[in-house]
Amino acid sequence: MASVTGASITMTPLSGSFKANSSRVSGLNSVSLSAHAICFPSLKMRPGPYRFQVSCAAKPETVEKVCQIVKKQLALPDDSAVSGESKFAALGADSLDTVEIVMGLEEEFGISVEEESAQTIATVQDAADLIEKLIEKKDG
Amino acid sequence: MKIRCFQRNFSAASSLLVPVQLPSRMETHFWYVLPDEVKSSSLLNQYLELLSPCEKESVTRMQGHQLKKKALLARALVRTTIARYQINCQVNPRSLKFKKNIYGKPEIEWDNDENWCPPPLHFNISHTPSLIACGVTVDVPIGIDVEEKQRKIKNNVLAFARRYFTPEEVNFLNAISDLEVQRQEFIKLWTLKEAYVKAIGKGFSAAPFKTFTIQSRPAKHSDPKATEIVVESFDDPTTNFASNWQFTLLELAGSHYAAICRERGKNIEGKECVPMRLMVRKTIPFVEDECVSGADAVVTIGSLIDQC
Repeated sequence: MASVTGASITMTPLSGSFKANSSRVSGLNSVSLSAHAICFPSLKMRPGPYRFQVSCAAKPETVEKVCQIVKKQLALPDDSAVSGESKFAALGADSLDTVEIVMGLEEEFGISVEEESAQTIATVQDAADLIEKLIEKKDG
Repeated sequence: MKIRCFQRNFSAASSLLVPVQLPSRMETHFWYVLPDEVKSSSLLNQYLELLSPCEKESVTRMQGHQLKKKALLARALVRTTIARYQINCQVNPRSLKFKKNIYGKPEIEWDNDENWCPPPLHFNISHTPSLIACGVTVDVPIGIDVEEKQRKIKNNVLAFARRYFTPEEVNFLNAISDLEVQRQEFIKLWTLKEAYVKAIGKGFSAAPFKTFTIQSRPAKHSDPKATEIVVESFDDPTTNFASNWQFTLLELAGSHYAAICRERGKNIEGKECVPMRLMVRKTIPFVEDECVSGADAVVTIGSLIDQC
């Protein structure tokens, strides 16, 4: 008859995984938050891959107009940093904002954006490129 | 016996999370946090410590302090909420892993362990600039969407509806002569439609809003004034969608509309419309929880709810 008096169970916490979390990501170990701003070491934003075949990138004026429409929709101040690389999600756009932005672009440029194309727009540059492609098709 | 638990003394923080019983299959739990109530930088640091490296990176990519803070709170709310249910034993919110379904809907990724059957816990989150929410169910999928009541639509509401909604929904909005009421009804309809596409796991991109109609109709209930919100999908008319999905619409804290959509439990019998059993808690994780079900903070508009 087995006796288990005095037996103890050793719990092995998986503490390794906690430590690994913080050491795997360099630069984020010493993040500190002040009451006024969350300061993170800046990570370089890599532009997303272009999703369409375009013969050349959109004109700067088109990108600029898209930036203005986006700033207006998201109620961002005029001097906020919005450029071709900016991702809508990172600017705080939700699905309703994205749909409104697309409608705003359609009105501004006199184009019609199909649902499928609208889904592929992730950055300001994506939107500008799509707009120019649609204008080209329209003027044909 | 392999014990998949963690020693209590690794972090005092998680022991401050008040544990909660899993919802029954008939219940829905709804948790929300108001970002403006979270001011302490040491608390924000505590939340930051809960995130995975990938989540930290996503938070970093948000532009500006406010957006970073909200992204951080959203992840912290999800992790701490799920951890409260203490399935099996103490769960560290930091150790939770997440995966996405093929459409990008986040789900919990439980550890694969033959000795342990993970609970069929489902969740969904939604955020607005001033409120972040997390809904939880057991066994059935859930989708939620929250919007500020005062949200201004930049485009003409009817033009927007004609472009994205179904003819029935356009007619419903068109019949409202007061523009302010029309705007409010638009927002409510939007949240219901968003909640539905999130509940079915497809999201806005994969389930175009034109492919299903949501409307309110009289409910089969002893109360003659009772209404229920139902969905009819054109993608699959053979399936009786109306009976599969249960909706509710709330007005939260006087400032937000919240739509909840969940699949009805498979065992629901009977012809009478069953109210959704709902528990609503306002929270600041690690600091305080407040049960607001049945209080002024939660007003149900449309569909029957049994607040608990």
